[in-house]
Amino acid sequence: MRAAAAGVALVCWAGALSAQTMRPFGTFRQLHGESRLHARLDFAAGRLRVVAGRAGELYRMALAYDADRFVPLSSYDPARGAATLGVESVGGPGLRVVSRHQLEQDAVVELSPKADLALDVSLGAVDADLDLGGVRLSELRLEAGASRSVVRFSQPNPIRCRTADISAGAAEVSILKLGNSRCDQVRVEGGIGRMTLDFGGAWTGSERAELSLAVTELRLRLPRKVGIRITMDRLLARFDPNGLVRRGDAWVSPGYDQAAQHLDLVLTTTVGGVRIDWTD
Amino acid sequence: MRTARRFLLALGFIPAWAPAAHAAPRPLRDVSGVIETFRAFVVHQITQAPQKPKPATLGPAPAGGPTVDLGDLSQPEAVERAVRRAVPAPGPETQVTVPNGQARLGDFTIGSAETVTGHLLVLKGDANVYGRLLGNLVTVDGDVFVHPGGVVSGDILALRGDVKDEGGEIGGEVRTLSAPTRTGATVALSPLAAFGRNVAGVVGVFLTLLALGVGLVTFARPNLEVVSDTVSHSFGRSFMTGLVGQILILPTFGMLIVGLILSVAGILLLPFAVVVYVLLAILGVVGGYLSVAHAIGETYTRRRMAQGAALGSPNSYRYLVAGLTGLFVLWAAWAVFGWVPVAGEIVRAAAVLVTWLMATAGLGAALLSRAGVRESFAGRLIPPEALTDEYLWATPQFGVPAVRRPESGPGTRPGTRHDAGR
Repeated sequence: MRAAAAGVALVCWAGALSAQTMRPFGTFRQLHGESRLHARLDFAAGRLRVVAGRAGELYRMALAYDADRFVPLSSYDPARGAATLGVESVGGPGLRVVSRHQLEQDAVVELSPKADLALDVSLGAVDADLDLGGVRLSELRLEAGASRSVVRFSQPNPIRCRTADISAGAAEVSILKLGNSRCDQVRVEGGIGRMTLDFGGAWTGSERAELSLAVTELRLRLPRKVGIRITMDRLLARFDPNGLVRRGDAWVSPGYDQAAQHLDLVLTTTVGGVRIDWTD
Repeated sequence: MRTARRFLLALGFIPAWAPAAHAAPRPLRDVSGVIETFRAFVVHQITQAPQKPKPATLGPAPAGGPTVDLGDLSQPEAVERAVRRAVPAPGPETQVTVPNGQARLGDFTIGSAETVTGHLLVLKGDANVYGRLLGNLVTVDGDVFVHPGGVVSGDILALRGDVKDEGGEIGGEVRTLSAPTRTGATVALSPLAAFGRNVAGVVGVFLTLLALGVGLVTFARPNLEVVSDTVSHSFGRSFMTGLVGQILILPTFGMLIVGLILSVAGILLLPFAVVVYVLLAILGVVGGYLSVAHAIGETYTRRRMAQGAALGSPNSYRYLVAGLTGLFVLWAAWAVFGWVPVAGEIVRAAAVLVTWLMATAGLGAALLSRAGVRESFAGRLIPPEALTDEYLWATPQFGVPAVRRPESGPGTRPGTRHDAGR
């Protein structure tokens, strides 16, 4: 009888051993007069949220990670002003999702609103929400693998941003209020998936956007107050001009010449569709 | 001992009773609050963390002894492993070497007028920094407090603890690594629980299919038998047809939708068409699967009868039960042994594969026989006589030496009487 009870207990215990564990990890760094930060976020799997942080801190990350398969990344190079945050798989860089439990990893990253930020984000199988309103964004590079990513500029960028490079694999990417980003140049490469580019926001200057899409459903949300010019090279993609008028080899919005700010879109698309919505 | 047991038993009843008191009138709520406070106090006394050790300085280990290097804290898990390896059970007698630093046991405070040079390792205690620490700081099972005016020039790492920045200055990076937590949504079931769940699931699906099968036999027996015969006599063709059917099921659905949308009147039929199409697809797969079970059961029953087994009444109900039982043997094996690593997965994969094969063949047979309406298909490959129940009686149809067949002349059909017309 005791042996049977011990056997049952052992069996139950063995089951408990296989349970999934997550490990909390936190990191932050005080702001000591740094005026620039080059932040690299590597996140292989899970949920990621990026927001503007506290005035007295350079960065902060609160992370819960799958300790069996990942290790947290947290380092800072004072000489370059470069921080690396996120999680990396135990075997090294690269993404190997072997369990849906990995997708339960969660990270909240806060970045300084005081330092000029060059942000480099690499996402794997991630559900990401990057709110860059409130940070001083000088440069953005986003690589979205098989992710569902939302990048929003909820507030106007206090400084000019040189470029925003966005590359999406098999992903669903939405970039909202790009007008607030104040990026001089936006480059987007899309693989397979769906993409929404919202150029709303507070425009202070003209922008140029280069979009190169393979098999992507693109939704462009364009502000009426900005002069729009779209130069398009498409193969099998659908396109509904929705009020744009043909001028030479481009499509332009009515009143393009009179607009104070201009958005020049150079669009190359192979298969998929381009839909235009107007915002006020 | 007995008193302690009674006390713990009483404690166990308190939480069961307390929630009910929340909905009670105020006096009762007050009482429940008192009880809750008392319970929390008792639980705290029972489960409170072990006492912190008395503060002590841990001397350096002799040459070759345990060493913990705190120079690089960028890999917190590696530091944790190193500390655990070097100091598995810290005590006052523990000796550990911290290169360019020192180790302390219990709470440790750097006074506002003090400056500590080098790295600092604090085991089983809090570190309070009012003064200056020129180096890295690591605590294990303790918190770090950097008070106003306090300075830590390097990094801070709290293993199973927290870092409270209360207005001090931290030159480096702050990291906290807590103990692993088990997430509720990801807790694996114990083998016993998994066994119970799997058995319940398999039995439930079996009974559901059995009920559907009984309904099918009762109300659509001719169709079921024709589809079953089609599977028996053209299994390969049925499987290929089912495979193609599975591949085309979505494109066909899309074409149906588009076609209905393009035709003005068809839009009105769209919701009904979608529902009907989905139901037909489910009926095709499930009905086909049940037909395969019927065919398996029929074959098995006939073979047993051919071997001389006396069976009560060989009918479609019996065929269905026998066939479904045979098909669910693999699932039953998975339900019992599914918790076994690797083997359980293999059995499940085999069960899924076999189920898919049978469902595909069944779907194909249903398509070939037009849901059992087209009787001629199954009989195309063999004469209709073979589809009768004659050989249920275990009597060979041809070549019986004990029976002398009447001589038949050319052109006469079997069964024609020779003396007819004489």
